[in-house]
Amino acid sequence: MIITEQKELEEIVRSLRGRRRVFLIGCGVCAATWGTGGEKEAAGMEARLKEAGIDCAGWIVTEEATCDARTTRRVIRRNREAIASSDALLVLSCGAGVQTVAALADLPVYPALNTLFLARIQNLSVSDERCRLCGACILAETAAICPVTLCPKGLANGPCGGYEDGMCEVDRERDCAWVAIYERMEALGQRGQFTVIREPKDWREDLHPGFVNKRAQKASV
Amino acid sequence: MSRLADAIACGEFVVTAELGPPKGTNVAHLLEMSELLRDHVHAVNVTDQQSSVMMVGSLTVCHLLLNRGIEPVFQVTCRDRNRIALQSDLLSAAVLGITNVLCLTGDYVTLGDHPQAKPVFDLDSVTLLKTVAVLQEGRDLSGKALTGVPSYFPGAVVSPAASPLGPQIAKMEKKVAAGAKFFQTQAVYDPAQFEAFVRQVEYLGVPILVGIILLKSAGMARFMNSNVAGVTVPDGLIDEIGSVPRPERAARAVAIGARLMREMNAMCQGVHIMTLGWERHVPRLLAEAGLAPSPSRSTNGE
Repeated sequence: MIITEQKELEEIVRSLRGRRRVFLIGCGVCAATWGTGGEKEAAGMEARLKEAGIDCAGWIVTEEATCDARTTRRVIRRNREAIASSDALLVLSCGAGVQTVAALADLPVYPALNTLFLARIQNLSVSDERCRLCGACILAETAAICPVTLCPKGLANGPCGGYEDGMCEVDRERDCAWVAIYERMEALGQRGQFTVIREPKDWREDLHPGFVNKRAQKASV
Repeated sequence: MSRLADAIACGEFVVTAELGPPKGTNVAHLLEMSELLRDHVHAVNVTDQQSSVMMVGSLTVCHLLLNRGIEPVFQVTCRDRNRIALQSDLLSAAVLGITNVLCLTGDYVTLGDHPQAKPVFDLDSVTLLKTVAVLQEGRDLSGKALTGVPSYFPGAVVSPAASPLGPQIAKMEKKVAAGAKFFQTQAVYDPAQFEAFVRQVEYLGVPILVGIILLKSAGMARFMNSNVAGVTVPDGLIDEIGSVPRPERAARAVAIGARLMREMNAMCQGVHIMTLGWERHVPRLLAEAGLAPSPSRSTNGE
């Protein structure tokens, strides 16, 4: 899941300054699950904006992920009257969702959330980052624990000298990723994998801005 | 040419020390300290932005030492430079005649005085050691041929008191496979623990220089216990240094250091003394540890 957090109301109000009327769009997938952009949060945001003196034309939460342009296009079409009566859209989704809406709408679009990371949701109050979207997954060689994400230095060949009682040099409250990898390898009888020297990462695989066209790829094969 | 490599190859008990460059351009004090070490050590490590604190570069200070006939160990971390800059600095070192290179990962940036900085870690200590090996084969990391092939004596570090120890030894094994020819350790205060460590890594057959830091005070010992990873000063030693009045502390610190060295010298191939401003006590420390002056340690012998 993409983990997000709501911006301070003050910041949202500041970005909406000068706008007469705003329509709200929430995301029915990540932001709804994490409790930052579902129906409850969209309704709550509308109420808080009204309290702050900003007129709202209503809200809708996309059933699918807001970042899916195919379905979000339909949501915008179905709500065109409310949107036409507004002069701004406030989107309660990750940055990808905000930009998907912006590409489909001819009026200013603003984010209500900050996008934090791609994570495992342990429960509705705890989530931890698990993937850095690095473009070259090495989990097969690291006992399915990602050092690119979980080691602040992103080390690929074992721990640095900074761990203490298995905790990370950078944050003593956090497990050292490489101690965890080592222990899981031992538990699974895969200790031999630790000895493999991993070559320096090819940063060309860390493709930003990312772009994929599967049809064009197929055609070129 | 590495006197350090020669001494290790001859099976001599090796002594290295460590100097930190200044923050600012005045190197007078640093050079003064290096003079105190000149006749007592095989080589002097020069730290690379130690603890992520911005200082004069290690390469420059290594060059200054070498010009004065003091053999340097160029410490290189992966924190601040990508593979282009690291290879370039390694070549620069070779051009300046600096051959001893200590390859480290480097502390994280938030530990230092520029916590806002972007951390690099394009390579790690293992791949940095491999880079040294590749350069020595006359190529760079992209496979391009070098005009003029450098020669190095690469080393690495290990923490014998790391907890847990398993991952530390597994990493040490990779460093040896990547070309580390000697190891300097984090400061050790427990000879029994060090002996157990040495037994566990005996199969690697690599020379180990045990790390010594003089205990300046009980406060310093407690600070290291809570802030320096892999360093544990036993309560007995904290009490011992804490029990003597300030004027006698240096003598007691030297006595403790010498005692530790006498207990551990037979377990390893050398000692690495991290002086932390107490360079003047090194001659007495070595004498009390039973290390007679050696012509190979003295530049005057050359």
